[in-house]
Amino acid sequence: MDSQHLNPSSLKSRFTARFLRALIKINAQKPISSSSPREIFQRYRRIKVAADKSMAYSVRSRRTWSRATLWKLRSRSRRRLASSGRRSSIKTRTTTTTTTTTTSTNHRAAIVEKTSHEKENKEDHVGLAVQAEELRELVPGGESMDLCNLLDETAHYIKCLTTQNKYA
Amino acid sequence: MDIGEKDKYELGKRDEHNNINYQAPVLSSDWQFGGANLTSAGMSLVPTTNPLAIGSSCASASLVDSFGSSLWEHPSNSPNMGFCDFSVQNGANSSNAMEIGKGLPNSLRSSIDRPFDMGWNAASAMLKGGIFLPNTTGILAQSLSQLPADSAFIERAARFSSFNGGNFSDMVNPFGVPEPMGLYARGVGLMQGPDDIFAVNGMKSVSVMESQKSKLDATEATRDAGLRVENRAKASPLENERKSESLMQPNEEAKQGTGGSGNESDEAEISSRDGGQDEPSALDGTGGEPSAKGLSLKKRKKSLQDAEIDRAKGGQTSTKTAKDSPENQQKQSMMINKTTGKQGSPASHPPKEEYIHVRARRGQATNSHSLAERVRREKISERMKFLQDLVPGCSKVTGKAVMLDEIINYVQSLQRQVEFLSMKLATVNPRLDFSIEALLAKDIIQSRAGPSSTLGFSPDLSMGDPPLHPSQPGLVQAPLPVIGNSSDVIHKALSSQLTSMTGGLKEPNQHSNAWEDELHNVVQMN
Repeated sequence: MDSQHLNPSSLKSRFTARFLRALIKINAQKPISSSSPREIFQRYRRIKVAADKSMAYSVRSRRTWSRATLWKLRSRSRRRLASSGRRSSIKTRTTTTTTTTTTSTNHRAAIVEKTSHEKENKEDHVGLAVQAEELRELVPGGESMDLCNLLDETAHYIKCLTTQNKYA
Repeated sequence: MDIGEKDKYELGKRDEHNNINYQAPVLSSDWQFGGANLTSAGMSLVPTTNPLAIGSSCASASLVDSFGSSLWEHPSNSPNMGFCDFSVQNGANSSNAMEIGKGLPNSLRSSIDRPFDMGWNAASAMLKGGIFLPNTTGILAQSLSQLPADSAFIERAARFSSFNGGNFSDMVNPFGVPEPMGLYARGVGLMQGPDDIFAVNGMKSVSVMESQKSKLDATEATRDAGLRVENRAKASPLENERKSESLMQPNEEAKQGTGGSGNESDEAEISSRDGGQDEPSALDGTGGEPSAKGLSLKKRKKSLQDAEIDRAKGGQTSTKTAKDSPENQQKQSMMINKTTGKQGSPASHPPKEEYIHVRARRGQATNSHSLAERVRREKISERMKFLQDLVPGCSKVTGKAVMLDEIINYVQSLQRQVEFLSMKLATVNPRLDFSIEALLAKDIIQSRAGPSSTLGFSPDLSMGDPPLHPSQPGLVQAPLPVIGNSSDVIHKALSSQLTSMTGGLKEPNQHSNAWEDELHNVVQMN
């Protein structure tokens, strides 16, 4: 909540702008489909993706979870497009290679780091290892962080989720 | 920052009571300005005409007067505060210490570029005057006590701690007046208190410390029982400097200086408050024993060297301070600092520094690993507290494990909420015109759907997370009572909206009911 009051171009405004745009696009794509559950489900998925993407975008890769989310979405879309063999796949690949390489390297390095940090965590807080694991699964991109950063990311992630819920 | 500090500085000055009237209000004002510059921790050299004017127009005595007057204006609990500021400023540049000692007027002229030099000169000039000395003891104490409130003061103190050795020697040699030194040292010593807590500010080379130590020895010899505070002050600056040296990484000085400033402001206040009260008693208890002091100095020197070695290894060892237990003063200062630090840390522990320089507390393991662990634990607990504020209804929960469980549940519920909302939008979307209406409608639906989405949660919860179920009802039940109220409110809001907007808004209300049915279908699909 504080972040939303802080600056005019705050998380909330950025998120709402992007999300609205995405929703408009989706709505334009599939103009008033039938209310069959399947269609609705597809739209739901798209909207969910749009929400997550817009949220991650408004947090400009400043956070690990945003990077992880974006990377996941992009890789998923790339894979999907690649499987269907469309032109856009090439485009997405070229455009996203630069970003994804960094993110992938970050992820790999982070995963390596994570194992070492994990051991450290287990040494220090044996009782919290289980919860730490759970939290890591929950927070996107949380597999590669030690407890300190994980808690940081969790705090920011919670803030963004509340923003999303409030304005989406 | 300079301006802010100056304001604080001037405010502090106004507050205090001047027992002695010093002439030259112009000088005092100039000095204030110069002092403000000084208080800016010498970080940014603020070129001002005032120092120049002071330097050019005033003799050393006049400077001393202005200095004294300015000191007067500073209410302070600890007598050394004001001095510390200057010394800190001077300390910032150990190289300048020698220059300062050489000639006040010259240094005054050149002080434009070095506000801290100016301050030091003023201080030395004041000390030279000697007139102020007998009077300043009490006054300084008063004026100085308020200084700690300034964050700039803390910074200055930090610098001063490093500079202490240089100052002392310079001060003693040219003036040969033990008393001024004592006062000065007192200020320094008191300043060291907060420095101990922070151990942040950039510190000087070993040479400064050595010179400081030697000076301390010399000054100690001249000290008398009445100036015990002085001894302590000297010891503590040395100690502080050593500690700071051992703790500080030269690369991180800037970061720590910036990051620590926030800490300093909080902790300095706390520490200064406590230190001001505790230290005089501690000082009296320890007494000034030159021989003991010399020993302590030597030990500190050794510990410093060891600390440096440790620093080379881990960069987090201040363990030597813990080992210097035979030194009462050190212990006391440490204890005092630590207690104040502990008091201050929960309130104002800043996670801004890249390197957290930890000092081994009394009675705790001083292994570098344990220190690092402690740092990590503190970090984690700090973040847990922050998360506790973020997650609703977690203020009563104690313990990391339970807290983490709550956090996990909350994050899961938030994620599901987002899913539900997006699902809702998927169903409601075709009915909404995407425009401002949509946004408004969304807001309205948001408040309406909030409770309903939580209703939708329960089936999903039962499907997804049986172990979390006990916690989820807590979340679900809370909005349930609200639903009744909110729905009415939303209906009213919707109706009001309908009057001003297209009829599309009606549908969301209706659809939200239909949506719940679809939601169940969707859930089954999932």
